Amino acid sequence: MAYLLTHLVDDTAAQSPDQLAFRFGNQALTYAELARQSNQLANLLRAEGVERGDRVGIYLNRCLETAVAVYGILKAGAAFVPLDPAQPVARTQYLLDNCTIKILLTNKSQRRRLPDLLTNPGPLQLVIGGEAAWTGRKLPWAAIQSMTDSTPEVRILSDDLAYIIFSSGSTGQPKGIMHSHRSGLAYARLSVDLYGVKATDVIGNFCALHFDQCTFGYFSSMLAGATTIIVSDAHTKFPVSLLQLIEQEKMTIWYSVPLVMTQMIQSGALAKHDLSALRWVKFGGEAFSPHQLVQLMAHMPNAIFSNVYGPAEVNQCTFYHIDEPPSPEAPIPLGEVWDDTEILILDAADEPVTAGEVGELLVRSSTRMLGYWRDPERTERSFFQHRKSGGPVQIFYRTGDLVCTSAGRSVAEIPRSRDVLLFMGRKDRQIKTRGYRVELEEVESILNAQPGVLEAAVYPIKNGPEGLLIHALVVSDQSLEPPAIKQGMALHLPAYSIPAEIRFVQALPRTDAGKIDRRSLQTLLA
Amino acid sequence: MKIEISTMEDRIIDFIRLEILGEGPSFELDADEDLLGSGLIGSMDIFRLIEFIEREFSIKVNPADMTIEHFATVTALTQFIQQQQAV
Repeated sequence: MAYLLTHLVDDTAAQSPDQLAFRFGNQALTYAELARQSNQLANLLRAEGVERGDRVGIYLNRCLETAVAVYGILKAGAAFVPLDPAQPVARTQYLLDNCTIKILLTNKSQRRRLPDLLTNPGPLQLVIGGEAAWTGRKLPWAAIQSMTDSTPEVRILSDDLAYIIFSSGSTGQPKGIMHSHRSGLAYARLSVDLYGVKATDVIGNFCALHFDQCTFGYFSSMLAGATTIIVSDAHTKFPVSLLQLIEQEKMTIWYSVPLVMTQMIQSGALAKHDLSALRWVKFGGEAFSPHQLVQLMAHMPNAIFSNVYGPAEVNQCTFYHIDEPPSPEAPIPLGEVWDDTEILILDAADEPVTAGEVGELLVRSSTRMLGYWRDPERTERSFFQHRKSGGPVQIFYRTGDLVCTSAGRSVAEIPRSRDVLLFMGRKDRQIKTRGYRVELEEVESILNAQPGVLEAAVYPIKNGPEGLLIHALVVSDQSLEPPAIKQGMALHLPAYSIPAEIRFVQALPRTDAGKIDRRSLQTLLA
Repeated sequence: MKIEISTMEDRIIDFIRLEILGEGPSFELDADEDLLGSGLIGSMDIFRLIEFIEREFSIKVNPADMTIEHFATVTALTQFIQQQQAV
């Protein structure tokens, strides 16, 4: 019975050994090769002293080795910690220290960064795959080939720690989201079921390993016996090349942040490519501007489009399948709560709101994280303990997202019998301006819906004793006038919510994951 | 006026080294080094690089030409610029 993430690969390898598990450029790994190589890596890690529960770092760009690394570390009974090479070295050193990482997996693509990183290696004792000269031990990646390929005998339980994803966090230190084999596997099962993932599917994995959307390409795909295409770092920078890749590989399922698809539209090359193999296009991590989505849908006639919502702490919790091009006026709903999941919508006093009212979303599900790494206080704050009439304690995760149900709202464009959730902003992005409470998210979505606006971000600016003022950045390929935009917005928003200043830029600052980088926006413009 | 290949390469390398990576002359950057796969150059840097070559070599880079093939290495970029100048 499959109860560990590692069983996903081993089970498919037993049934269809020659099926392709991962492809990257002209390299590929069959399920049998992945099972064998990850066993070898696990045996090497065990021989090097890795014990159940240890953390092993993965310091790699997008590449085929990431797949072997993930499953090799898991098979050794350890947890993998993806470390983003694009992050400043000091942050990575902090994470090495914070997670007591003794072994680091890397390859020669990091040869420029590695020497810097190793100037302060903290607890590191061994680097596998790195060429840098340092006083600690190092082994070439090829060292795994000399190891036995039998499955290591380690007792691993389904609720053992499997991986830690560090979110960049809007403030302060990065927080480490701990997931178990159980929560990862629960996500794989639910997503394979919801999207009907089959062995014939070819899944485009856009995001880097340190981003939680990877669970679809690295776990769900393995459960279905499908093939995951690891999109190279180079392809992520060139939308035209990315479109070529989607066409060449005949990808059937795509999953990324909306930005990637917006860039494909802006490249003007959408129409030149045959994207008819795509049957499902999933987007999440940020709101997709309905304007852009309509254009995309026109070019991908065979695809179902889906909004995916769920903080990394719970993987995913809602879905919204879009049957018809949405109205550009209304933001796309978060959607329906998926299986094995229930929600609460609570007010500031932790009491349920009445139907249709806005409150914080809390989620209870099998896909929930174990907690935050070495941060019991934050974990406790983020968990809401609910006990119904003396029964067992039920733990809900506080998302910090404000939502409401569509019940009682005139949401004409939702032709659904069931209620869906609507996103109403972040709890911490609610500001007071000129004495009024304003949801910045709402202002942003109205601004995004204005004609000619390709992308937009709004942010609060300190304005002396008056408090905060709303400013906006807009990306457009037309010559727009701020007064005209403000007039358009005034049809939907009260005067105090309209940005006091609108500036035009070529592009918005983005995090490595492709989301709008709110922090650098703030520091850039403060 | 036509610019020699080596000087064109050198000017691009200088720009990447100084303006994008913030490194001094001691930082070795080979014309054939993969700029993209190792993450040496980020997404936002591409726009700065394009601005630079458009200004420096009086060409226009169309969105359709923004591909891996043209930007993978300094050598590839140099060839692309020369093609554009010849048009």
